[in-house]
Amino acid sequence: MRWLWIPLCGAALVIPVLVLAGQGRGFDGVVGSIQSQYHTRATCIPLMGIVSLIARGATQGGVGDLHVAEFEHFSGPVDGDAMNRIVEKKLGRGWEQMVRESSRNGKQLTLIFSRPDGRRMGLFIVDFDGHGLDVVQVSVDPDHLNDTIWRYKHHRRESD
Amino acid sequence: MGRIFMFILGAAVLTTPALAQNSPLPLPAPVEKELAARASNVTEVTLGKNMLGFAAKFMNGDNKNDVATRRLIEGLDGIYVREYEFEKPGEYSMVDINKLRQYFETPEWTPIVHERDLKSGESTDVMMKMINGESRGMFVLSAEPKELSIVMILGPIRMDELGQLKGLGGLGGLGQVGNSSSGNEKSKDRTREKLSLKPGGAK
Repeated sequence: MRWLWIPLCGAALVIPVLVLAGQGRGFDGVVGSIQSQYHTRATCIPLMGIVSLIARGATQGGVGDLHVAEFEHFSGPVDGDAMNRIVEKKLGRGWEQMVRESSRNGKQLTLIFSRPDGRRMGLFIVDFDGHGLDVVQVSVDPDHLNDTIWRYKHHRRESD
Repeated sequence: MGRIFMFILGAAVLTTPALAQNSPLPLPAPVEKELAARASNVTEVTLGKNMLGFAAKFMNGDNKNDVATRRLIEGLDGIYVREYEFEKPGEYSMVDINKLRQYFETPEWTPIVHERDLKSGESTDVMMKMINGESRGMFVLSAEPKELSIVMILGPIRMDELGQLKGLGGLGGLGQVGNSSSGNEKSKDRTREKLSLKPGGAK
């Protein structure tokens, strides 16, 4: 019986550590780092999980795993290199930078990272326009999106 | 002691390629950093092999254009675009341009267009990477007094297929390069007007 307590205690210690470590990475990790670095809070968007589910249903799986964090009244300036380092560090391996647009005065910044995820592609976007900063993570299915784009094109041709 | 030295040496050898990957554009990183530090606006578009594979999935149509574009994109190793906008002329020098050019002065890279307009201060360089007689890459450097654009495409490229990339990341001008470079020397002076490489369109 005594031997049973040892793995149980070990699990009780390790699980919270792993959960906390997990919170420090990915989307939450980036948002948390921005909050602590710039001493600001992201506006809470209620029912974001349901919004993500609806987006997935509405696009028939084309868009899913939607995460949005909005920092209103975020005047900056934002150091492009510093922000890039935060995102790279917190997103971890597998994410590749696709687009980076920055201004020297720190009033404009766009970062787009991508990560192939099987048949899907994860996209991570940070956009700062001088007044507010948005962080978005989304997973897209190119086949579904392509079908949707094709349908719109076809519909447009028919209506022309 | 010898073992420790060998271990450190081995670790250094193994980590060097990983550190070198910090700059995805195969350009000398210091030049890139210097230009970025002086520019008022910097746009970097990096489409690695994974991303190009993803983009190719969007071209699943059966028509000739889609098939040709998909084949071209899938074969590429990467497309890199850098655009540096400066507040006023003179914030980058010909020394910087020459540093970039020198990097490609190797037997693998063949200049196909080199144009310099002293009056307007504009210059255009187009180079091809040739391996065993096959084109394996392309480098375009377009310099204006307040703007510097760099486009690098790595992988097997056929000039007549370059126009297929016009829908990707504002690379519309490449189709014109393909048409121009297949012509004779007279086409060089027209190339400058045709190189409208605006990576901002990728956003």
